[in-house]
Amino acid sequence: MTDPSHSGEQRADQGQDAAAPPRGERSQRAVAIAGAVAGHARRPRSPGGVIFSIEGVDVSYGGKLAVRDVSFDIREHEITALIGPSGCGKSTLLRCLNRMNDLIPAAKVTGTVDYHGQDLYGPQVDAVEVRKRIGMVFQKPNPFPKSIYDNIAFGPRVLGMKGEMDEIVERALRRGAVWDEVKDRLKTNAFGMSGGQQQRLCIARALATDPDVILMDEPCSALDPISTGKIEELMTELRESYSIVIVTHNMQQAARVSDITAFFTVEAEDDSGNRVGRVVEHDETEKMFTNPSDQRTEAYITGRVG
Amino acid sequence: MPLPTPNRAHFQEQLKTLEISALGGLDLVGESFARALETVAHHDVELGSMVIADDDRIDGRYLEVHQGILSLLALQAPVAGDLRLVAALLHVIKHVERMGDQCVNIAKLVPLDGHEPPADDEILSNIARMGELAGSLVVQAKQAFERRDAELAQDLVRQDDEIDRLNKACFRRALEIGDDADAREWAMHLMLIARAIERVGDNAVDIGEQTAFVVTGLFREFEDASHPELSLDARR
Repeated sequence: MTDPSHSGEQRADQGQDAAAPPRGERSQRAVAIAGAVAGHARRPRSPGGVIFSIEGVDVSYGGKLAVRDVSFDIREHEITALIGPSGCGKSTLLRCLNRMNDLIPAAKVTGTVDYHGQDLYGPQVDAVEVRKRIGMVFQKPNPFPKSIYDNIAFGPRVLGMKGEMDEIVERALRRGAVWDEVKDRLKTNAFGMSGGQQQRLCIARALATDPDVILMDEPCSALDPISTGKIEELMTELRESYSIVIVTHNMQQAARVSDITAFFTVEAEDDSGNRVGRVVEHDETEKMFTNPSDQRTEAYITGRVG
Repeated sequence: MPLPTPNRAHFQEQLKTLEISALGGLDLVGESFARALETVAHHDVELGSMVIADDDRIDGRYLEVHQGILSLLALQAPVAGDLRLVAALLHVIKHVERMGDQCVNIAKLVPLDGHEPPADDEILSNIARMGELAGSLVVQAKQAFERRDAELAQDLVRQDDEIDRLNKACFRRALEIGDDADAREWAMHLMLIARAIERVGDNAVDIGEQTAFVVTGLFREFEDASHPELSLDARR
């Protein structure tokens, strides 16, 4: 590695007088560093307005607090990842965003969840309309026991959506990145699809009702790496038109796909001893995975606890 | 939250081993540098050839740590503080390798002066002092990194400024060395040696910058020659 002409290190110093102020080559480096910092955004994105404004949200099941005092905004064209250990309330919070918790009689949500500036839990709000605008994809692919076509058409039919149904179905399947694989067998049963295809079908089904938000609860944990890669790729494409909130146990997945990460943790309450989830840190994903602000985030994402 | 229970112990062990190995490279450099200075002080050509041969060990350490870092990145996907440490170690080992090369540069310059060169005491004593300072910077750079001590790392700049001052003094003295061709050639070689020592100091300061990066998560140069007004010292 040593240059025989003892000029190895001096290449960078060519033309420099030995008595010139030393470390002169640093100026170029400093410029390069400044440039790298300015251009560090890893992909083009243009976060828009606030879609969800979550403020002081508590959720309890049967009087027992599950998650406390959650506050953050979710913006247009952003993928937000919710991470944290089991029982930290991340899925619970996700389910608040399209009123899925309404389906659990003992669940109670307090605080405010504004959706486009409107109280999601206001008395005039129709939960069915909410779930049309805010689609959800679950951990295990859950196609209806129907044909591929009918899976997609189900929502639009129930909602009486206008337009040619074949077009609606094709558009949704294309957006779900599954069209090319199923276009010749639309009338066959959806259970004949592979797990990864079923999951993309479920995403397409959620997209068929023209939502603007897609909630994903561990959408890849039952899939192999190739299917996972396809879904992650799809999420990045969908971000152009939708906002995505994803709950994931796969830290690397959160790092790969999301723009913003919220880290939840679960701690025992001082008085009751109940284990209650809360948000510890909410920040840009890149910041979170290179230089988190909170020690608990650091410990969790580096795998020192868990 | 309950106290963190140790997890990923195997990974933590690997990371620790990698750090020890990279910082151990600074010990190798320290030895090699001390010998290179002795080579200069006593015009000991034989010792110089040992310095040159020993650089293979430093280069070997570089390759070993480099490979270890690649494996860790590929297999363990470090993040946050761990990621910063791995990135910093990659810089550290590169600086180690560079400092090793400077020791070789010094060792190779000594025999070029021939037997009993027309030495100048002022230049020799300045170079000896520069060598002491740079040698202590190497030790301090290692300590600061090991202890994650950003202040100790920042302190490297202070001593490095003194090295820079002595380097310039050597230059001025060399200009005044007179018309004798042998003396001028000797002074020229000694200037190159001074320059090599000065570079060792700079590499130590760069390792200090990596220490600050690991600790704070922010990278910035302690001193920026093109913007001296922005240096941390000036901001204080």
